[in-house]
Amino acid sequence: MTAMLELTGLGKDYGERTAVKALDLTVTKGEILGLLGPNGAGKTTTISMASGVVTPTRGKVVIGGVALASDPRAAKAKLGLVPQDLALYEELSATQNLTFFAALYGIHGKLAAERVDWALGVVGLADRAKDIVKTYSGGMQRRLNIAAGLVHKPELLILDEPTVGVDPQSRNHIFETVRKLRESGITVIYTSYYMEEVEALCDRVAIMDGGAIVALGTIGELVAKYAGKGVELEVTGDLDQAATAARAHGTVTREGNVLRIEPTAGIAPVLAAIEATGMTIARIESRQATLETAFLALTGRGLRDVA
Amino acid sequence: MIGASILKEIWLLLRDRGRLISLFALPVAFMVVFGSMFKFGPDKGKPRPIGVWHEVNDARGVAVETQLNATPGFVAKAYPTPDALRNAVAHEDLAAGLIIPTDFDPAHGKLIELSIDEASPIQVRGPIEGAVIGTVMRALSPVAPRDMPQLVMPKTPPGLDKPIDDISAFQVTVPGNAVLFAFFIAMAVAITFAHERHTGVWKRLLAAPVPRWQALVGKLVPYFLIAMVQLGFLFGLGAGVFGMKVAGSVLALVLLSAALAACATCFGLLVSSFGGTERQIGSTVPVVILVMGLLSGCMFPRLLMPAFMKQIGNAVPQSWALDGYYAVLVRAGTGVADVAPQLIALTAFSLGFALLGLWRFKFE
Repeated sequence: MTAMLELTGLGKDYGERTAVKALDLTVTKGEILGLLGPNGAGKTTTISMASGVVTPTRGKVVIGGVALASDPRAAKAKLGLVPQDLALYEELSATQNLTFFAALYGIHGKLAAERVDWALGVVGLADRAKDIVKTYSGGMQRRLNIAAGLVHKPELLILDEPTVGVDPQSRNHIFETVRKLRESGITVIYTSYYMEEVEALCDRVAIMDGGAIVALGTIGELVAKYAGKGVELEVTGDLDQAATAARAHGTVTREGNVLRIEPTAGIAPVLAAIEATGMTIARIESRQATLETAFLALTGRGLRDVA
Repeated sequence: MIGASILKEIWLLLRDRGRLISLFALPVAFMVVFGSMFKFGPDKGKPRPIGVWHEVNDARGVAVETQLNATPGFVAKAYPTPDALRNAVAHEDLAAGLIIPTDFDPAHGKLIELSIDEASPIQVRGPIEGAVIGTVMRALSPVAPRDMPQLVMPKTPPGLDKPIDDISAFQVTVPGNAVLFAFFIAMAVAITFAHERHTGVWKRLLAAPVPRWQALVGKLVPYFLIAMVQLGFLFGLGAGVFGMKVAGSVLALVLLSAALAACATCFGLLVSSFGGTERQIGSTVPVVILVMGLLSGCMFPRLLMPAFMKQIGNAVPQSWALDGYYAVLVRAGTGVADVAPQLIALTAFSLGFALLGLWRFKFE
């Protein structure tokens, strides 16, 4: 399998604070890799280093076999970045925006016009090409944001939370666009706060926390390895005391008023230990193994709770 | 990439009415208002009226009135009573007036009354007062005043080229406002950087296969060119519509404009290196530019400022630009060599702003 992006020992310090430790990651050509992590996990810093926006403190970035540090022009030409923000000129038309962004990649004249038409077609905005961007809906602006990262036909496209604030129709359109891009051979890195998006789109998922990748694999692998089945409990009384009692009989994570418990030898000893402390169990629910439970097990936090 | 940046900035400028107004319409409005306020030059066909009251057939009063009418820039306006004249001055219908008493006798302290608002600034009052007193003295001189030979000859000192004969108000207001408003390009530069950082477009630029220096130059060059277009428009309008003359070399005028445009653009880079949001820039930078404009004499002649204010004025680039422009516009024969000090000063300011801006500028 050919590597489209290789990050080796990649890290970034801001003064005394380490945003990303020393990260190793290989993204294979043609795959969609999901990058998940709570706020402050280091996702955006990693993406920024991988795309040449931020200079790494240590480590190496290789895009399509070209080292970013030694030949930034060639490496960057292979990459398209769709930032989290709407990185567009709102006062200009879609065509004017994309023509300018194409020029940054040395694409001018007739070829630029063809690429602009192609990119607008991919995101379904061909009929609004001449309209001023500020007249677009939020979802259309998000789609144009993707087109601006696509207009030079990159081999690797990095999408940083591309569906923030969009309506379901536009979200579906963006999903379809990402799938079509993968079918056409473009490698995609996709970050999102929406677990179901990552589950629906990505071939593999890297979970980041505290500036490091804490797990990497297919969704099936991650669920099998980290999302062990268990129960969710709601108790009335001191939750910390209940958690301490339950820890003797399994792995316990706490989220708000809920204890998630993966028992080592059945649920009965857990319930007995909690009730022995004098507390009442208000709710008990069996938990399915999902990517979300794997994420919780790895980070101890829910993705959207910290967004 | 730079060509695409220029085109993009022009598209953006054409869609931004506020910026178009501040760069092109506002300076024209200022030129017209200031040019019309200082009614001299092309407007000098309307002399300033000076009120006069004297007894009918008072020979000395008639002599003063006649002399006022013979003085360029003044016309005598007779009033029926002294109080009517004083009332006109008090209500600002007149700048000044002369009341010649029947018992006029300077030897015994019976003087002509010059009715004028003594509260008005000396810069405004002084020239009128001096000229009117001089006119009275000539009218009442015992030495056949109208036949008196010329005693004083105005002459430009060596080192300065002779000015053109007809210096209109627009010779002053066009360069003054051109220099003042050219610096507003600095605000546009700083705002565009802030906007691109805010929206994430700057990230896109950094992720593109464009060297960082080129991304920076690509942002600055369009604004340098817009400033040149702005200056060309204002001086073109001044010459074509308002009768402004270029007494010296047109090449010197163009070089001064290029140096000024570069200086304003580099100042924009410096401002943007301090960061800040678009709103913060929009509320603070105009104040800085207006203060610099005031110190440099863009709105009020430096000639009339106290010495220490003139010294402070030398520390802002607008002063140098204005001095250069004024020499080229009013002094016949002023060439590139004559404005070399101004060109060097503006280049030094540009370099200073650019180096300080680059030192502070945060790409990431």
